Amino acid sequence: MSSKLFKEQKPSKVVTIEECSSCNLKMKRPFQPNDYVFKEGGNCQKCNSKMMITSIYKEEIKK
Amino acid sequence: MSLSGAINKVKIARDKSEKELLDFLQKNGYKGDASVQVGNLIEFFTITPTSLDPAGLVRKIEHLLNVRDERVKEEIKKMLPDKDAVTISITENLLSVSADLNFWYKILRHYYLVGKKTSNLYLLMQLQMILPDLMREIEALLSAIDPIKNGQPIGDGIGAMVAGKLMLNSEKKPVAKDTVFSEVKYKNRTLYIVKAEGPSGNVGQVGKAIEYLINDYGLKPSSIVMIDVGGKLEGEKTGEVAEGVGAAIGGIGVDKFKIEEVSTKSGIPLYAIVIKLSLAEAISAMTKEIAEAAAKTQARLDSLIEARTKEGDVIIVIGVGNTLGVGQ
Repeated sequence: MSSKLFKEQKPSKVVTIEECSSCNLKMKRPFQPNDYVFKEGGNCQKCNSKMMITSIYKEEIKK
Repeated sequence: MSLSGAINKVKIARDKSEKELLDFLQKNGYKGDASVQVGNLIEFFTITPTSLDPAGLVRKIEHLLNVRDERVKEEIKKMLPDKDAVTISITENLLSVSADLNFWYKILRHYYLVGKKTSNLYLLMQLQMILPDLMREIEALLSAIDPIKNGQPIGDGIGAMVAGKLMLNSEKKPVAKDTVFSEVKYKNRTLYIVKAEGPSGNVGQVGKAIEYLINDYGLKPSSIVMIDVGGKLEGEKTGEVAEGVGAAIGGIGVDKFKIEEVSTKSGIPLYAIVIKLSLAEAISAMTKEIAEAAAKTQARLDSLIEARTKEGDVIIVIGVGNTLGVGQ
């Protein structure tokens, strides 16, 4: 909403990074409401251990 | 850009931010029209104490800020009585953006109208000259709305993120309003990590926390390390990590004063690690390059601790910044 009032911003999306502390698998997914950094995430697809959200950031959408 | 065009843009930005705040309140269960209450809160002011007799000025400012914060929080809680701390803090942050935009709109309009009314060309020229910088700030404030209402980390949260990671798996104890600390063993040293309590959008009271830890809790730290964002100059790279001495903390100066005071009184070296970013990046959604600076900052902290402290030392590490979307 803010972008049109000023210069056109590059399209971006916010992503959540989950990491497994056992096997170090990293997973990137779209940000969901109530996500926060250091919140317990889902189960690891590789070793079934609990994952943790380690990062939430905005990244540009590449065309 | 013409002055009248710029003023109009700032007005649109102010109105949009207010609408976002009203929508957020409605979405979170407020029944009816909150525009009167929101309007009153946006216009809510704080009169700074007189500096004619500067002794004890910081204490007076701290008192007034506490009264203001409590009053604003109470009003928000009245509107959203059943909501959790995160939602209340998001509302406070959205309100702060609206109040800032309202302030800039009114200041800009005031000088524009006075300049026209008094045919003061020089006043209008000065206004025109500061316009590009001012509009960048307006744009930055507008870009803060989306991450705040979604509870996403903002760039300013990177210091809190580094501290939060160090606190994982340790007991978190409250130490001041919206502020927690943990005791962590690290390379035969004891670290006391302090940060605002996340994932709410707080900055906490880290100055008060350090005062308490040293004066009341009885810590005798060999060093205090502060981690915060630092305003980058044009041409500097976002996410660069730099090291220095002094209290790395922004705001009106109450926390900075307290930390400088207690460290000077006890002769404790005060180190600072800053992550460089612009004002817009500090209040917008955290970017990948800022998030990736967390690892670099941690490495810098490791080498600082190894080089400047010895085994058995107690060290206070403060992660400064708005901890919205960042737990611990």
